Order: sequence, then C-alpha cells, then structure tokens
Amino acid sequence: MANKEAQREKIPNPIGVSVPRIDAREKVTGAAIYADDIQYGPGLLYARIKRSPHPHALIKSIDCSKAKALPGVKAVVTGDDFPGYIGLYLQDRYIFCRDRVRYVGDPVAGVAAISEEIAEQAVELINVEYEVLEPVLNPEFGAGPDAAIIHPKLGEYVVANFIFPEPGSNISNHFRIRKGDVEGAWKDCAAIVEKRYQIPHVQHVPIEPHIAVAKVDENGKVTLWGSSQSPFAQRNLIASALGKSQSDVEVIAPFVGGGFGSKAGVSMESLAVAIATRVKGRPVKLRLTREEEFYTAFVRQGLIAYFKMGCDKDGRLLAMENRFYWDGGAYTEYSVNITRAAGYSSSGPYDVPNVKADSYCVYTNHPVTGPMRGFGMPEMHSGLEQCIDDLAHEIGIDPVQFRLLNCVRTGDTIVTGMKMHPTGLSECIEKVAKAIQWGEKAPPSAPNKRRGKGIAIMWKAPAMPPNAGSSAWVEMNEDGTATVGVGGQELGQGTFTVMAQMAAGALGIPYEDVRVARPVDTDYSPYEWQTVASRLTWSMGNAVVNAAKDARRQILEMVAQSWDENPDDLDIVNGVVISYKSEEAVPLKNLVIYGLPKPNDQGWIGGPVVGRGKFMPTYVTGLDPQTGQGPRAVVHYTTGAEAVELEVDIETGKVEVIRGVAAFDVGKAINPDMVKAQVEGGFVQGLSTAFFESLILKDGVLQNPSFVDYRIATSADAPKDIQAIIVEVAQDDGPYGARGVGEHPLVPTIPAIGNAIYDAIGVRVGAPPFSAEKVYLAMVDAGIIA
Amino acid sequence: MINVHAGLPEFEYVKPGTMAEASRFLVDHVGEARLFTGGTDTFVRMRDGFWKEKYLVDVKHLQGMRTIRFDPEKGLTLGAAVNMNEVIASAEVNAHYPLLAEAAQTVASYQLRNRATIAGNICNASPAGDTLGACLVYNASLYVHGVDGLRDELLRTFFCGPGKTVLHVGDIVTELNFPIPPQGARGKYIKLGRNVISDLAIVGITVLGFPDADVPSGFRYRIALASVAPTPLVVEAAGGLLEEKAASAETIEAAAQLVMEACSPIDDVRGSARYRKLMVRNLTRRALTQVASDLAASGEAH
Amino acid sequence: MSNHKINVTVNGEVEVVEVPANMTLLRMLREKLALTGTKNGCSAGECGACTVILNGEPVNSCMVLAVECDGASVMTIEGLSKDGQLHALQQAVIDQGAVQCGFCTPGVLMSAYALLQRNAKPTDEEIREALVGNLCRCTGYNRIVEAVKQAADQPETVAA
Repeated sequence: MANKEAQREKIPNPIGVSVPRIDAREKVTGAAIYADDIQYGPGLLYARIKRSPHPHALIKSIDCSKAKALPGVKAVVTGDDFPGYIGLYLQDRYIFCRDRVRYVGDPVAGVAAISEEIAEQAVELINVEYEVLEPVLNPEFGAGPDAAIIHPKLGEYVVANFIFPEPGSNISNHFRIRKGDVEGAWKDCAAIVEKRYQIPHVQHVPIEPHIAVAKVDENGKVTLWGSSQSPFAQRNLIASALGKSQSDVEVIAPFVGGGFGSKAGVSMESLAVAIATRVKGRPVKLRLTREEEFYTAFVRQGLIAYFKMGCDKDGRLLAMENRFYWDGGAYTEYSVNITRAAGYSSSGPYDVPNVKADSYCVYTNHPVTGPMRGFGMPEMHSGLEQCIDDLAHEIGIDPVQFRLLNCVRTGDTIVTGMKMHPTGLSECIEKVAKAIQWGEKAPPSAPNKRRGKGIAIMWKAPAMPPNAGSSAWVEMNEDGTATVGVGGQELGQGTFTVMAQMAAGALGIPYEDVRVARPVDTDYSPYEWQTVASRLTWSMGNAVVNAAKDARRQILEMVAQSWDENPDDLDIVNGVVISYKSEEAVPLKNLVIYGLPKPNDQGWIGGPVVGRGKFMPTYVTGLDPQTGQGPRAVVHYTTGAEAVELEVDIETGKVEVIRGVAAFDVGKAINPDMVKAQVEGGFVQGLSTAFFESLILKDGVLQNPSFVDYRIATSADAPKDIQAIIVEVAQDDGPYGARGVGEHPLVPTIPAIGNAIYDAIGVRVGAPPFSAEKVYLAMVDAGIIA
Repeated sequence: MINVHAGLPEFEYVKPGTMAEASRFLVDHVGEARLFTGGTDTFVRMRDGFWKEKYLVDVKHLQGMRTIRFDPEKGLTLGAAVNMNEVIASAEVNAHYPLLAEAAQTVASYQLRNRATIAGNICNASPAGDTLGACLVYNASLYVHGVDGLRDELLRTFFCGPGKTVLHVGDIVTELNFPIPPQGARGKYIKLGRNVISDLAIVGITVLGFPDADVPSGFRYRIALASVAPTPLVVEAAGGLLEEKAASAETIEAAAQLVMEACSPIDDVRGSARYRKLMVRNLTRRALTQVASDLAASGEAH
Repeated sequence: MSNHKINVTVNGEVEVVEVPANMTLLRMLREKLALTGTKNGCSAGECGACTVILNGEPVNSCMVLAVECDGASVMTIEGLSKDGQLHALQQAVIDQGAVQCGFCTPGVLMSAYALLQRNAKPTDEEIREALVGNLCRCTGYNRIVEAVKQAADQPETVAA
C-alpha cells in the first residue's frame, strides 16, 4: 500500500493537466466582480487627494478652512491627523505628509465628499504654502555627500533586521557581497569588460487603476475593500499605523485587474482608511485616475549599474565587481528589499568564484518605487546580460557557449555561499538556442533591414522575509465537492485554478468539484503573507496540499473506522472512497458532513470535514552584513533563458521582433498551458519595457502621465511567434516539485533584445527603451549610416 | 503636476435645431461655448482642465453633417460629422481619394475612429493630425456656416498655429469639399509612431504625385508633413524640383533633402528635432520612391 | 447642470434614465444601470476597457456622453451571452487561455464581436488592427488573436 501511496504522491490527476481556468466564465461574461464593481450604497462618499506640485519642499502651512466650508464636504484631513509611520521593511512614510513633501504627487491632504466633483472642488480650495528645496534627481549623486538629505530622520525609522540604512545619507539600504578575492583575480583574466548601464523608471500599468474603499464603524473596526495583492500585509500595516488590533481590520479583496507588484504592500489604501476614520459608518471610495496612477502609484526603480567582469582564456568567469545605484524615489519602504535581492543575486545565474558587489538603495525626489514583476532582476539582468555578451565577444567565444560554460549548475557554490539546488538552467539555454536556430543567420527581409539574434539568461529567487508563511483550509460540502480557502490573491496569474488542481489532486476528487472561496477576506480567509515573489504555487500550494491531505486523512480515518479497516488500505479516487483490500466503495457525498453510522445503528462517527494546512520555510539563514555570505540566502531560484530574432530598419531605427523563444525551469508545471500563458504575457511585457516604456521625468516632474505618451505594447506590437518551453527539474520542497514562474519571463527580455540589436547592427544602443530614435541615432553616431 | 478631473467637469449640453441657431448660440456665449462632434479631443481637454467651457454644442445631427457625397464634376463632399471609419469604408473615397482613407486608417484605434472626424482633426489644428496632409494635397476647402452667412475657406490658408485657425466666433464647419483629384494621381502616407500602429505621428509624410504634360518631368508632386512644424506643412520647393527633373534616386534624394530643410520640428516626448528631421528626409525619400514607382507602373499600364 | 431624461435600449431592454449632461455612457452603464461588466481604465479613450457597441459600432463609452445616446441602442458584455449560453467568442477566449486578470476582457470581446460583424473571416493583421485600442497587460495578445480566429471559424454565432 505504501507503494500505491508513493505512486499517487507522484503525479495525481489533474496535476500537470491544462484544465480551463476556474474564473474564466465569469470573466468573459462581465460577471467577475472587481473592487469598483461592488455596490457600496447611497452612503458612499468619494475621496480626492491634495498632492504636492513640488518634488522636494517643506510644508510651511496648510489651510483647509475653505474646503471644510464647502457644502457636501464631510471630512478634510492632513498629516497631523495621522502621526504614525507606515512601511513594509522600513517605516519611512507618513500616511499624509507632515513636514515635508518628497515627490510630485505626495499626498498632503484628503477630502471626503458626497460626490467626486465636490471632493475635487474642495481639494482645489486647500491652500498649502511650501518652501521649495533642492531636489535630488540622480541616485548616484544622491548617494554621495553633496546631495540634499531627503529623510533626515532615517536613523529613527523602524527597519527589518536584514536591511541596512545609512543615516545621514540618502542610502536606505546598502547590501554587500564579498566573495573570494576579486582584486587578486583580475590579473588572471584574459579578458575584462567594464560597462555602465542605466535603466529608467517604468510603471506596472495594470488596466484596472488602484482603488480602495474604506469604512470605519462605531467600534473602530476598519473594513477595506480594495484591488489588492496583499490583504494580510495591508491589514497588518494599517493596523500598526493606526494603533489598532489586526483583528479590528478586515480587508476584502475581490478580483484584481492586474497587479504586477503595484498593488502589493500598502500604498494609496492607507489614504482611504485614514479619511474614513473621520466619517464613521460611511464607506469612502478613493479611485486613482489613470493620470494619478502614473504620478503616484508604485513605479519600478531606476538603476545605474556598473559591471566589471573578467574571464580566463578559456572563457571561464573568474571575477565580477558590480555596483548598483537604485533610484528608489521618495520612499523606499518596500524597495530596500529589491536592492537586497539584486545584491544577493548580483552575479546573475553564473558560477563566479570571486564577486564583489555593492547595491545601494538611494532616496531621490522621484516617484515612489516599489515591487514590480521581477523585483530588481529585470533591471539588473539588463546590464549584466549585455555585459556577458560583450565579454564573450571579447574572448572570442559564442555567447551561447559562454553561457553554457559558466551558468550556475546543481551543487555550485553561488554568490552568497549557498549550494545551488537542482536546476535546469543549462537545459533551458540549450533548448532556446535550438529553437531559435542559434548560429544560423537568415537573410534580412528587405535591403533596408538588418537581422540579428540574441540570448539572455536569468535567475530569480522569491524575495521575501525568510519566514513568509502560507495557510489554507479545505472544507468538504454535502455533495462531496470541496471549497478551498486561501489568502493569496487571483491577479490573473491563475493561482485559484492551480490551487483547485492541487486540492483536487491531493484529495482525490475531480477538478470540477473544487471551488475557491472568494473574495479573499482577512476575517474569513486563512493567512497569506502576500501575493508576490512568484511564491504562491510553491508556498500556498504546499499549504493547500497539506490542507487537502488533512481533509483526506480525516475522511479515510472515518471510513476505515466504519469499515473496520486500515486507513492505509483506503484511497479516494474520483470522489469515491475505495478499499484496495475489501474492494468496498462509498462516494464522499454526505459522509463528509454527516459522518457515517456505526455498525448496528450504535450512533455515528465523523462529522463535517475541514482540512487545515500551512507552509513556512524554516531554513533560510541570515547573511553576514559585511560579506553577504551565509548558508542559505533564499528558498530557491527559478532559472530560464530567452532568445529573440529581430530586424532593424536602418532607415528609421524601428525594430521588429520576428520571434521569441523562452524556456524556464518551473520544477513541475501544474497547468502547462497556464505556464505558457505566463511566459508569453511576461515576454510581451518585457518587450514593451524594451521598446516603449519610460517615465520621462524632467526636474522630478513626470512628462508623460497618460497612455498618449506612456506607450505600452499593443496587439500589433506583440510578435506573432512566441514559443514557450517548459523545463522541469523538480523543487525538493515544492508541491509535486513545482516552483514559481510568474515574474521570470519578463527578466531576460530587455537584454535578449539588446544583444540581438547588437548582433544586427554592431552597436549598443544604450539605455532602454530601445526606441526607433535611439537605435537610429546610435547608428548615425557610430557612423554606420549618414 | 496636472490635476486631471476624475470625470468630466460640469457643463450644459446644447443640441440646437438648426445651424443658424447653433451659430447664434456660440456668438451669444463667447468663451463659454464649444462645438463638438466626436468629442475625442474635447472630452480629454476638459478632463485635463485646459478647456473649461460651460456649454458643449452638439451639431452632428444637423442636416448634411453625416453626408458623404461624390459628384463626378465637383468632387467629394464630406459632412463635418462623418467619422473616420465612415471615410475609410466609403467606396467613393477609396475610388477617388484613397490617400484620405489611408491616412484615416492610421488614426488611433477602431473605437476612437468611430467618433473622431476629419473636420474635428482640422478644426483642432494639431500639427500631428494624420489626415491633414491628405486634405492638403487634395486641395480641400471647408464650407463654413458663420453668423454672417456661408463661405468657403481654403485649407491651405486655414491654419495659423498649433490649435489656431482662421475661424471666428460662431463659425461652424459643415462640410469638407475636395475637388476632382488630378487624373492618374498616386499617393502615399507614411507615418512613423512609437508603436507599430495607433500612436500619434512622430512624423507623417503625405505625397501625392500625378502626370502633367505641361511640366518638364511630366509629373507633379505635392508633399505635406505632419508633426514637424507649428502647423501642417506643405513643401512646395521639393515638388518644384521634381517637376523640373524626372524622378530618379538622385532627384528624389535631393527633393527629400529639400523637404528636410524646409521643416522646423521641436523636441518633445515623442521625438527629438534631430531625429524628426532625419526621418522627414528618409521617409519622404521612401514615399516619393513609392509614388514615382506607382506612377511609372500605371503609365506603363495605360 | 441640467439633467436629461433619455430613452436608450441596452442589451435589448428599453431603459429610461435621468443623466446629467457631463455623465459619460460609461458612467451611466455602471452607475445608473449597474452594468459593471464595462470597465473604466483610463477615462480618456486610450485603453479600450470601456468598449461597448453603440448603434452597431464599437466605441469607447468613456468618450460618449450618455445624453448623446437618447434613442440609441447599446450592447455591453452582459448582452453577449444569451440564455446562459456563451457566445462563440467567449468560449474561444476560454479555450485559448486568452484571459488572465480579466479587466480588459469585456472590452476586448466587444471589439472582437464588432470585428466579426463587419468581417466574418478576418486575417491575423485585421484582428490585431481591430484590437489595437484594447490594451492588455497580461496575455501578450496572441491568445486573444487566436481566440478571435477560433470564433471566426465557427459557422454558428452561439457556441453549443
């Protein structure tokens, strides 16, 4: 019987099956409910926010008297009403600014009124006097001694124990790697490449803008409805900031219309809650306009990166010395950990014996940065992977061969001193190289075109506190179906579907018989740290499998007792409990609620079945603050590779990606088609950042706060030929071997395209986006064209 | 920071029964009333707070505003409220003024083209308007209903600057009129945007060429540019050159060079002046080469 | 600001609605008729999430005044399936895995529906052109294009 159990454990149905999404029907019929679709009733108030027009200034005075007097206005609040700090890893923000504004759009005051129009009029009546200060607009300068200090109280902020701010400067985190002897290694190098790369701020651009609706009742209980990746983190941070018990804050999170990190942690939600505390009993809705979304929602950090890397005459990487200046913007409560992640991954997915890295998170007077799909990896890999190409060319080795020679493999001692777990990176490289027909050059399609191919590889670990936890329940229903409770959120990535598959597989019931309870509601749903870091399939998946197994155990024990058999001889197959020994069978229907009668009508056994499961990694260790070395920096790395073939129009600089291929080692694809969908979507989002996207900031002021001039890829821009390849080298502690892949497809796209452009025209274009203009002028400046 | 309204600011919606009534209303509410047809610019500008009119005057239901009419003698008449998709779908337009359809097809998205109008494009006088070049090279004129009566305005002299035209208070453009195009004309619109399609033009090049036995080369060319000057720009000099000398790689290059020198683009978030000038040269070359080749091919066919 | 009483047919039902002059068709659908399938993504005619069919043609409902719709006929995502039966396009979106977060999906379906009404067998380019005004940040678009092709290949308009 143990054998059967082991077999079942391997791959139960429907694990590895591309079942349709559990939420598809309601989403294609318009029935799916998002936060703005909930009817909040006639008591609903509307909030608008008074925001700073300056990138950096002191607040001298705020006069709200006219706004308060406007009929229809129910509350006007300012920073002094909410003195507490808020923040995920570093508490560096007030809910509303108190003494100082630090970016254009920083919230200074909030209004609740009976209509959005009146709230807007009230905002215009608030008069704020500022003393304008010199802004800091460049992270490299900002890290130095001559920059104005943006957070004079940095030394007083509450901070997580793995983040290292440098009070008296604008550096909110400095992560170091000191591995081996970098200085000594350079003399052994046959080739050394040194490069500087820059990458601009980009935005997540969820099609659903941020929205939060908050209500505070007479008992002080806070209810928050929002488009949220992080209901529990929001509950925790808002409770802390307002001095409340977590049990008095309820976050209700319906479907999210795209997150990509922008709806993680707490951002504008705290504004709605703060205003709601002044209008007890009435819900207050704050919905960002698309323009506010561009000005004030989280953006991806900008980065100035210096790479120095060298290899021996055979192409073996010997040393890397990397320095990252992250443009963290006005507040870095979340981004400090991006800096850390980039630091502990700073070698890229390579086996390098000697590494020195310094990763600085720097405050600037730019928009607030936060997590975005990839969490520092797309930015870092953009430069790193172009530099690797340059080094390969320098030493005269084909870029694919160079990567196969140096890429991280199972058992390697990686940059933090951790032993690499089993990984399929080299298989990913080989597969994309084959799929793109690496080494074969097709002729361009027209005389004015130049054709090229490029490859880039990546790694990324879930970046999170070492002990981020998940929990789940699986509740059986009268008809033998199961309802899964989770606190992780459906952002479109398909997690509810995958959780239903895992519950079905672990329980032994059909996928169609599983529902996922929603909306996620912190009063009813089990705890989940956040829906970020590509961690749900792995972490929440483990919790769900454990919960399903717990339910299964309860069922089998009950039936075994009733049948007077050993639970080990029983199984649940397709919703029916069967005995391999007695060949008895009974459907789950009814018994999972009402239990089973004892023999001879001597009473009952069992009762309603609710399985419970949790998962928390317990093995991640701290790292030495001076060297970044430690036994286990992270839970695991997902690795992968992408390659593209493209054409450059030398008369315009326009680049057309003809095809893209991507391979990622996902451990085990629970739903292969949805893995491919993630890969395709991530690839196109990466392509969009490669060609179109940049927050254009002039003296700290955003110049393109709308879709008119912040362009993203459209249906016409997506390459028709995108091939996703799944590699499966099992994760030892992943459910059925799975690890996450949500973020990863975006990571290598920019450098793969950059390397292909170089292959086509022999020029490096500089910082993304690789607009037609930049490509064209790079060719002109290089003397390739006139 | 631009404080964009969450919704449209308050205004009154006015739907006059006649053109005269509409015109009178505009005169009676100077600075407070604005005409709209599709609203694709109007609503955006009002949300942005740049336009603050108290009255929006809807005239698209008035007689003739939605008409497309072709007369083999007089040419094409487009009602001012005819939307871009209707222009693109019109058999008459495609038969006789294909450049109009070609240019309209590059505007924004299908949804927006169901509301956007060429007349609106013209009256807003954006230097980036995709259809303006086609209207210029087809020698369009505007039929204007003013308080003092009806008149025609030549498009060539219509634009005064970005957003500025010769229209007076109370003027309502009711029709666009296009004369019969030159026999054997061939045209090309090349738009360079950031995206493959749907973006605003970084530069837009419109070329119309047609046979004319009275000029030495046997062909005449009209060239109009978008997004590279304060108003849509017609470059006569380049056409003149190609009237003198037959289109060859060299003469086309020289003409493209002239066109580049004639334009005065600015730096903005969509592109630098330097790049725009170079693209004017390269894409004028491309458009002229295409049109010259089409003209030659059609000459051989006859 | 005046209110206007308008008659508008929405998904086949005649509705009489009082709307202020500055109310867009989008807001009327969501706030007056509780038809929340139509989404607000930008209020500027750029993202396409609010696309509906107005008198047979797709428009950005954020770019149309409700008062302009007096006497008009409007179809929204809620009107696409009939009697619980998914339209072929809806089924195709499910089959092709062309939905992720779902926020752009109603607008995409409206644009695709209008495309198939005017062009029963669109090419790949024609589909991409027709959907260029519907921004999607999740899927990368290709599965949406494949879904439209799948629906176009089916003779009946409503899936079995």
